[in-house]
Amino acid sequence: MEFKPRNYNAQREAHALPLVRTDGHPLSAPPSHHPQVDAVDNDHNDFFDPLRGLADNATDCKEDVQELESTSREASSQLPTKEWMSFKRFLMQKFPVSKMVSISSMSNVIMKGVKVAEKSLTSTHLEELEDPEKCAEDGVKVVTRQEYISRLHELKDEINRAWHANDRVTSLKLAIKVARLLMDTSVLHFYPTLFVLSMDIMDMLGDMVWERIKWKAEFAEDGTRLFSLPENFQARDICSDAKETCNNWFCKIGSICELLPRIYLELALLPCWRFLVDQPEDSLHRLVMMTRGLSDPLASAYCRLYMAHCAQKLPRSDTGYLVKCVNDINIQLMRIISAREMTHRNSTDNKRLLFSLMEPTIEYIMKSIFKDASKSQVSNVLVELGSRRNQVELFGSLQCISMVLHHLLKELPAEVVTSNAMEILHIIECSNDYSFDQCLNYRLLGFRLSERRSQMDIIHDVVDKVIQVLSQNSSLDEYLKIVDAYVDIVLQNQMDNHLNTILGGILNRACNKAVAEDELESLQTILMKLLNHFKGLEDVFALNHFLEILDIMHGSSRSFVNMHILNLATRNSSISDPTTIQLLFEISQALHDDLDFLNAKGDDNQPARLISRFVHMVDYSSELERHLTFLVECRGAFGNLNELKETLVHSSNCLAIKALKDAKKHLSFVKSCIAFGEVTLPSISAQIKQLNLYLETAEVALVCGLVSHSDGLIDSAISCLLSLDCVDGSRTTDIEGILSAIQKLFCLLIMVPGNPEQGVTYFANNILALVNSSSWMTPAMRTRIFCTTLTLTATLSQNKLPYHAVHGEIFGNDLLFFGDSSYLHELVLLSESVLQNVVDSIQKEPSPAGRGCIALEACNCIASSFVVSPEISQICSKLIETAKSCLSANDKYLQSTIKFLDKNLRAPVVAVSSVAV
Amino acid sequence: MSIELRLSRASRIYRPSEPLEGKIIVKSPSSISHYGIRLTLNGSVNLQVRGGSAGVIESFYGVVKPIPILKKSVEVRPSGKIGPGTAEIPFSMILRQPGEDNLERFYETFHGANISIQYLVSVDIMRGYLHKTISTTVEFIVESDAADLFERPVSPEMVIFYITQDTQRHPLLAELKSGGFRVTGKMSTQFSLSDPITGELTVEASALPICSIDIHLLRVESVLLGERIVTETSLIQTTQIADGDVCHNMTLPIYVILPRLLTCPTILAGPFSIEFKACIVISFQSELSKLHSKSDPTSPRLWIAMETLPLELVRTR
Repeated sequence: MEFKPRNYNAQREAHALPLVRTDGHPLSAPPSHHPQVDAVDNDHNDFFDPLRGLADNATDCKEDVQELESTSREASSQLPTKEWMSFKRFLMQKFPVSKMVSISSMSNVIMKGVKVAEKSLTSTHLEELEDPEKCAEDGVKVVTRQEYISRLHELKDEINRAWHANDRVTSLKLAIKVARLLMDTSVLHFYPTLFVLSMDIMDMLGDMVWERIKWKAEFAEDGTRLFSLPENFQARDICSDAKETCNNWFCKIGSICELLPRIYLELALLPCWRFLVDQPEDSLHRLVMMTRGLSDPLASAYCRLYMAHCAQKLPRSDTGYLVKCVNDINIQLMRIISAREMTHRNSTDNKRLLFSLMEPTIEYIMKSIFKDASKSQVSNVLVELGSRRNQVELFGSLQCISMVLHHLLKELPAEVVTSNAMEILHIIECSNDYSFDQCLNYRLLGFRLSERRSQMDIIHDVVDKVIQVLSQNSSLDEYLKIVDAYVDIVLQNQMDNHLNTILGGILNRACNKAVAEDELESLQTILMKLLNHFKGLEDVFALNHFLEILDIMHGSSRSFVNMHILNLATRNSSISDPTTIQLLFEISQALHDDLDFLNAKGDDNQPARLISRFVHMVDYSSELERHLTFLVECRGAFGNLNELKETLVHSSNCLAIKALKDAKKHLSFVKSCIAFGEVTLPSISAQIKQLNLYLETAEVALVCGLVSHSDGLIDSAISCLLSLDCVDGSRTTDIEGILSAIQKLFCLLIMVPGNPEQGVTYFANNILALVNSSSWMTPAMRTRIFCTTLTLTATLSQNKLPYHAVHGEIFGNDLLFFGDSSYLHELVLLSESVLQNVVDSIQKEPSPAGRGCIALEACNCIASSFVVSPEISQICSKLIETAKSCLSANDKYLQSTIKFLDKNLRAPVVAVSSVAV
Repeated sequence: MSIELRLSRASRIYRPSEPLEGKIIVKSPSSISHYGIRLTLNGSVNLQVRGGSAGVIESFYGVVKPIPILKKSVEVRPSGKIGPGTAEIPFSMILRQPGEDNLERFYETFHGANISIQYLVSVDIMRGYLHKTISTTVEFIVESDAADLFERPVSPEMVIFYITQDTQRHPLLAELKSGGFRVTGKMSTQFSLSDPITGELTVEASALPICSIDIHLLRVESVLLGERIVTETSLIQTTQIADGDVCHNMTLPIYVILPRLLTCPTILAGPFSIEFKACIVISFQSELSKLHSKSDPTSPRLWIAMETLPLELVRTR
């Protein structure tokens, strides 16, 4: 057997593709001066490249979006019901109700009255539930929430049934009873739910009455359709009979004694006013006034809410009535707030609960007021809200309860907020009551202001004022809440002195206390805003107090901020500033210390990745020793991070190569780098990665001329492979990865000088022994490794190796063993034993297609490694036969392999193939 | 076999100068022979005096002789036969013949406690001695003729009122008397029956928290009984306009729709008179009020302040 001699240089040149220098980058935009492209652009203006948006295209796009928005707004106004539905759901969910609801004697009478009318199962059950003793005590009874609700549903069914049985008077009577339930506000938490359920009933009744009167207007008594009412009909289109019926309904409702049910029922029937008059809005205004007679703040607020809902059913409604509502709510709330504790038995807590129950109604009414309001309408609303004479000073004497103010501020158009910021600020300052946290109003103003760019002088005045207000506030929580809203404005307008004040203020308020959870959250968003605003991390670190503030944080918020900092830091190419590195190192340490907490949540290990990336990015440029020291420190500090160890080995290898390139001295430094790698490597737990890193380090050691180190590392790599076999229980490991690592090892072996004492094929033999003993290796993998061994031996037999270690003092095997016959003999010996194994292992491959493939691979490998001999051609033809039996005759690989063999081995193969066919 | 009178108007409202129109609907499985179908209109003022202000002797009599307004009878069908199934017999009767001398004015329909003014139309199918006469009666409502009506008042008369501890003629709670209160407002007192009572009311001050403010609509019925006039005031309708202790200095609207049939234009006739009043009652929160929850709301109590205003109701075009 004889190895085929090869001239690598000649072969490389023969196979190299011709290289031609180009002018342009293949991915850059086509040059505009090119005439052809121009023409194409002009002809196809509609062509839209999503990545290369033209200016005019972008504006088109924006218009489209605006159009879409406006249409969707129209659609939404046509479907107020949908909004109402979601609002109802929100109401029911916002106030969780305890299981039991206490009902006052008043509504209990109603429940009882209903019971007499129809003794249903639940109502008798209700009676059982009633505790007579308690009833006698204070006139309060308790029913379960579920029973209350099911009773309401029952009432709804009863109303429906009575209506369809033409007993409309009963329907009305029951509906009045339902409305009466709303007079009892002692149910507190249950009130919103009660409201929603009762409203369903009211709406249902309103719809039924509307349909009935409409039917009377459209159909004759005998059921023939006279005409159909247009959508925008007038009162004169309605026949007198229908009008009479409608009028009767209003008379019936008008005779209800109690105010609240009377208002509710008229609201339910509000759209029916259209049958009688052309300006149903007049009734709405009267109803607003009538609602003033309800002294209970909760009842009247929800009554106004229902009014806002019902008014949307009228074709055109201005929002004037709602503005009146808001004014009335304002007055009512002011009275509650100013009432002394002595006169009102309600404690402040009760009032707070009351306010929170009322809040959704104010929110909804405000939303309804400003929903698609034009600019002039907005200023009208403001004028009316403040009952001012002129429009010049919009906010002149507006005095608001802070909760009302909050929702007003929330809904005001952004341009109104920006142009009247100072006035609003003044109102916020004046409205300091306990219905709503004042600081939240300051905060909201900040957010609203940052929605739009506004005039510099206004912004400056506002921020000056806010900072002044802030300086008097000693609560950290409120301070942070307000600062959070203004920090964007301060940053955008470069108010550096204010920024200093703010940060100092935070530190002052936080340094002597433990920072609470929600304060941490605010702090986190503030710091994030700072981090995102500045271009470089150095600028942020340079801010006064920034690092101190970071220090007072703890827990997950701190980790979050730290991660963000690391993320920012590693976004650029490298980190070379020593102070920054030190700071980031400390940050990483903090993050590392909190890591267990993060791991517990089962997140993917983002912090570990960030720290590794940071270490990877660190660059001390020429101060290599310092860099190595840094790596050593990192190893000490972040012992728990596997990923980081890989980075550390990579970095130390990089350092060694860098030192080598410097070429001056540094052998000892390189040695310490390699030693660092050697020490770090064993603790890496991911075995394939460890294997690859061993190889990498071995290569670096070799390149640096440290043969003994490299030998040791290769040994470690092989033993690593060995242990892979033992440890690896599951078959899911990356077989391909292991194979390619082994192949890489063989490539490395070409450069490694053979050790005459151990034998030049020492490493190869070791690997082959491993391959033969490893039970988990697939036949295909074995075959490939054998082929690689063959190629290795063939290469090592050459007089000139294809590549050498760069280091001047290391000689390749071609020089060391030039003309040494025992060397060649050893190689031939190895390849002979391998050849036999190849043929055997191919036969063991179970899948035919795979068998054919590896047979061809082996055949190619053998044919290019050895000089033709009967022995070789016999093996080759046998392999081709195997391949033919497994693959189709048209297979490209098979055909090209046969062609290749034809050229290299001449006659014998043809004979075999003809036999085979 | 059934008989039904169906008037041409669902509201059953007719004016004296208009004809009363409608159908007699007879449903029968077999044919009916009869001696004529007769339609009778009857209108009268019925007066009665119940205890209370009436004397002992009068209370024995109770009912005062009714005052007839209208009595008319017409045969709509001569004797004959009605076939089986549903038969409809249309009719039309003029209520007041022009030039005809009526017994009495056509007062508007009114249902009161002591006085009721009622118009009835009835149909009788006479079937001789062997069979019972089939008949049915329906009430129809009379409203004044356009010609007799007032011109609608151009600006309804508004009466300004103020209620304080000093305007009350009955004793008040001590804290109310000393602390004082002041409720002012205005209200329309002369207005059309088809319009609501309108007005406004403002609580300016109050020493005690207010429990409720209600407008009670009262009718004052007077009957001439021999030499004496027996007058009784009764409650028609209560309308609450303030529930609980409302904000001070906030204007509350007064808006009361008049109930049909229970109201009519103010009448001052010789033998009887019907007048209306509105009573504004302010009840203050007091422990005492809980003990007397079932009493007449307009009777003077320690925790109640009130103001009564006479109303003049008119029928307008």
